[in-house]
Amino acid sequence: MVSFFKNSRLRAWFIQALVLLATVGTLASFILITRQNLLDLGIATGFGFLDRSTGWPINFALFEVTARSPYAHILLAGLLNTLLVGLLGISLAVLLGVIVGLMRVSRNFVLNLIGTTFVEAFRNVPLILQVFVWYAIFTHLPSPRGAISIFGFGFLSNRGLMLPTFDMSGWDIVIFVLGTGLFGYLIASFASSRDALRRHVWPLILGVVIALFVVLLFIGRTPGEAIINVPELRGLRFIGGVAIKPEFSALLVAIAVFGGAYIGEIVRGGILSIDRGQIEAARALGLSNYQVNRLVTLPLAFRAILPALANQIIWLMKATTLGIAIGYPDYFMVVSTSINQSGQTIELLSLLMGGFLVINYSIGFAMNRLNRHLAIKGQGG
Amino acid sequence: MLKIIISIISAVAVGATLAGPARAASGDTVKTIKERGSLLCTGHNGSYLGFAEVDDKGKWKGFDIEFCKALATAILGSPDKLQIIPVSWAQRFPALQSGDIDVIIKVTGWTMGRDTELGLQFGRPYFIGPTTILTRAELNAKSAKDLEGGVFCINAGTSIERIVADYMGARDIKYEALNFEKAEELRAALYAGRCDALAGFGPFLAATRFNAPNPEDFVIIDEVLALEPEGIAARQGDDNFIDVINWMVSALLTAEENDVTMANVDKQRANPPSPTIGRLLGVTPGIGDRLGLSNDWAYNMIKAVGNYSEIYERTIGKDSPYNLPRGKNHLWKNGGLHYSLVLD
Repeated sequence: MVSFFKNSRLRAWFIQALVLLATVGTLASFILITRQNLLDLGIATGFGFLDRSTGWPINFALFEVTARSPYAHILLAGLLNTLLVGLLGISLAVLLGVIVGLMRVSRNFVLNLIGTTFVEAFRNVPLILQVFVWYAIFTHLPSPRGAISIFGFGFLSNRGLMLPTFDMSGWDIVIFVLGTGLFGYLIASFASSRDALRRHVWPLILGVVIALFVVLLFIGRTPGEAIINVPELRGLRFIGGVAIKPEFSALLVAIAVFGGAYIGEIVRGGILSIDRGQIEAARALGLSNYQVNRLVTLPLAFRAILPALANQIIWLMKATTLGIAIGYPDYFMVVSTSINQSGQTIELLSLLMGGFLVINYSIGFAMNRLNRHLAIKGQGG
Repeated sequence: MLKIIISIISAVAVGATLAGPARAASGDTVKTIKERGSLLCTGHNGSYLGFAEVDDKGKWKGFDIEFCKALATAILGSPDKLQIIPVSWAQRFPALQSGDIDVIIKVTGWTMGRDTELGLQFGRPYFIGPTTILTRAELNAKSAKDLEGGVFCINAGTSIERIVADYMGARDIKYEALNFEKAEELRAALYAGRCDALAGFGPFLAATRFNAPNPEDFVIIDEVLALEPEGIAARQGDDNFIDVINWMVSALLTAEENDVTMANVDKQRANPPSPTIGRLLGVTPGIGDRLGLSNDWAYNMIKAVGNYSEIYERTIGKDSPYNLPRGKNHLWKNGGLHYSLVLD
């Protein structure tokens, strides 16, 4: 017995096993006690409620959701809403961030001033306040009857931006998006091995994508419907076309602008971290300013900013939960309402955490892969 | 070792006893109130406009507060023998069970869960809470059907979400539900014109209209989507107190049915026009001694707060800023749901 504890490896192993056992035991007892308490209170547990209809609708979803839809559908719709506003917002934030970052290091006084003002204004105001401000702006536009007409094709009102749509079903759009990705990848990899084609990669992809779009448009036509569906005011609302709701726009703009300010600073830091010698060398080769930026500065800076950028992107994804403040039915809001309506608090909170864990882990995983791929070999970074 | 185990067990036992629901003695609440000399009644943590609000002199007023005064007068003879205890919506049930308050008069819906699981006993409903629609006057909507295709702002996570979905679904009226978690955002969205209508509890809608930048821009539609009966709640197992509460509410309605008002109650008592009025005002005995109260309790109460109609119009009806139509809160003979019990 004594010799067992004198062996340091065995002892370490023993202590670790003990800690693991205690942790698992504590967690298991938490779960069992909670379950027993809920049973005692007469509260049903489990995920059976996911099949029950909710009895309440949400006003924005990527697929049809009604008051008769089960909880599973409304939760999925919320998750997709979060992904939609999150991914679009993050893309815009990165785009804005790169522009602002370049402005901040620019030697042009005006550009520099614009960049600095942007960063200071939007980085120093809490995000929730910005969400409220944008929402107030978008909901104080004229009512549908006095909507601002955009050449008769689109309308801007306090109900959102109404835009014409093509007569395509949801599946057509899914096929189009997947097809674009597939053809783009195939053409790019095919052309990269043939010098004659390499110059024409972009026109080629564009042509194929347009062809795909036209084919889908005509195959998926609803008989008797116009190819282009223009919104039209009827009674209290616009019929036809697609509505970009103010709740969505406000959250999207707030995330893009707030994220843009932060990412701008990350980009600036990345650019400033580049050894001046590299840029001077590029200039010495006779490259123009644009070429220096595109071929030397940004690729090198990209490596430096990637880890910080990944952090910021995950942060922005979590910030979509602010949608609840302005009535955007994102995953958090849908879960929160479901908790109130069904009373299945623990199950729904675990779904909420699970959902965000999967989204953010996926982002982190993709960014890590990208980082490893881009790292300069032999520099350990 | 044994000592340690025993002390742990006793500690757990003490903890369990303390953690159990602390119940006030649910015996004779009327006696307790009389001994204390004041009634402990519910207020609100803040203002619930029209029902329990604090005026600029720091005094409580509102529909529920008037019923607290009526009950205090019925038991103790004076509306001033009343203490309003501010409690939140969630606190009201534990506060009653722990004896911090004697009674809950706080627009409390009579639900089966509360009646059976929370140890409450409800008196007959004293207010019928309608779920209805507040809309913009410029839309000229007379019914829910006229709002076809409109955007409805609704408080997320409440029963209103389901009530609207059921009501509109059953009539095949298309609408768009815009849900907000907080009442402030809900109101702001309506004022800004983001939604055409706000569906909710009638009194809340009346207060929303009252608080609007231009109250005349908004109208409450005379269509009831659902009703919730609100009852006065006491602790389970106090039969006498429930009797007092029921007859208090009934006496206010009897007074309205017979046109007995705060102004003419003295005249009516001096010369009762009907046997019922005579019994109500204690000219012929019976109304008090059978409840363990004085025979002039109803007279005192009407003198202090008036009849049901006077309370309603003064606090939430046409003599108040909220101007909530009486609707289903009328007497039965005026198209409402209220009636008095038989006073024999």
